[in-house]
Amino acid sequence: MRILILFLLLSSFADAQAPSKENAPRRDLSGVWGIQAARETSADDKQSPGGEIPPLTTWAKARYDLQKPGYGKRAAPGGNDPILQCDPMGFPRILYFPTPFEFAQISNRVLQMFERDHVVREIWTDGRALPADPDPLWYGYSTGQWVDDTTFVVDSTGYDDRTWLGAAGFPHSETMRLEERYQRMDRDTINFTLRIDDPQAYAKPWIALPRVLKLRPRAEIRQGYCVASEEQSFTKRIREPGALDTGAAPRK
Amino acid sequence: MKKFALLALLLSTAVLFAHHGNTAYDETARVRIKGTVTEFIWTNPHSQIYLDVKDSSGKVVNWGVETNSPGILTRAGWTRRSIKAGDEVTLILCPAKNGQPVAYIGSGDPGTKVIFADGRELDFTDKTIDKTAP
Repeated sequence: MRILILFLLLSSFADAQAPSKENAPRRDLSGVWGIQAARETSADDKQSPGGEIPPLTTWAKARYDLQKPGYGKRAAPGGNDPILQCDPMGFPRILYFPTPFEFAQISNRVLQMFERDHVVREIWTDGRALPADPDPLWYGYSTGQWVDDTTFVVDSTGYDDRTWLGAAGFPHSETMRLEERYQRMDRDTINFTLRIDDPQAYAKPWIALPRVLKLRPRAEIRQGYCVASEEQSFTKRIREPGALDTGAAPRK
Repeated sequence: MKKFALLALLLSTAVLFAHHGNTAYDETARVRIKGTVTEFIWTNPHSQIYLDVKDSSGKVVNWGVETNSPGILTRAGWTRRSIKAGDEVTLILCPAKNGQPVAYIGSGDPGTKVIFADGRELDFTDKTIDKTAP
């Protein structure tokens, strides 16, 4: 009996030493990653940083009122979410979209490759500073550095202000600054945090809900282009009939 | 109690993962329809299944069913040839709230699936996630 108990104890110890408990690779984020579902605080967190949304400035409130989302407490059919006509999703929204993305590291950049629109976001690691007055870009201008052997910090700005911070329609300005921290905890795990500083839009920094990224070695990033002509056909055949105000009940 | 917990889990998961960009569907419902596939469109970000369904009066209605992107479907084990015109299928789906013959099946709403005449099923579980990993 004692031998059996000892065997079971050793077996569970062996399980605890499974490959995912290896030491975190040093200064390496390479691989395909999937964002894990988080406890979302409200419907306004869809494809969004989540966390407590700070008070909006007058400028941001005016924009927010014009944005007609498909999700959240203001949701209604027939909205104007830019992605419904294949406009770029933008960052950080694309990071929260539930498809995997890949990190690749080259000599002067870390590349973040997303499935949606096959987007490649370049994060410069050659020590350059962020530009003082960048042209607005759909995926911003980003620099990154390792602050220790397992923590990669990305600073970015210059985001085109037509993108939304999530499906509920929260706006941002072109001068939004983001600080992302990717901390490699072990082979399979990155802890991710995000801070949004955008005084033009929010009365104080927006601290995103911390998220976990898991290594997905069996997943591949597909060429997930949103093609406007295909999306228009889909809208005509399914989205618009589904949004008609018929006053009828669902078919059972 | 277990049933209630499972239902609560299903509902909360649906709220977490639904991402198909409109509020048209009744995501609390799971409705079974049976018909003959007329078209399977494998496009990003919305694949689509069209099928002829006989309503209660015997009239044939063509339904349009939204589903996931080829990326999500591929990871769930589908291919562009998984469904073809002429297939007899049963769908467990979320119908449009407004009574139109449009609906959603996909990873956003657990329990939605395709069942073929021979009993084979296609669902939306990601087969590339290693369930044995901690």
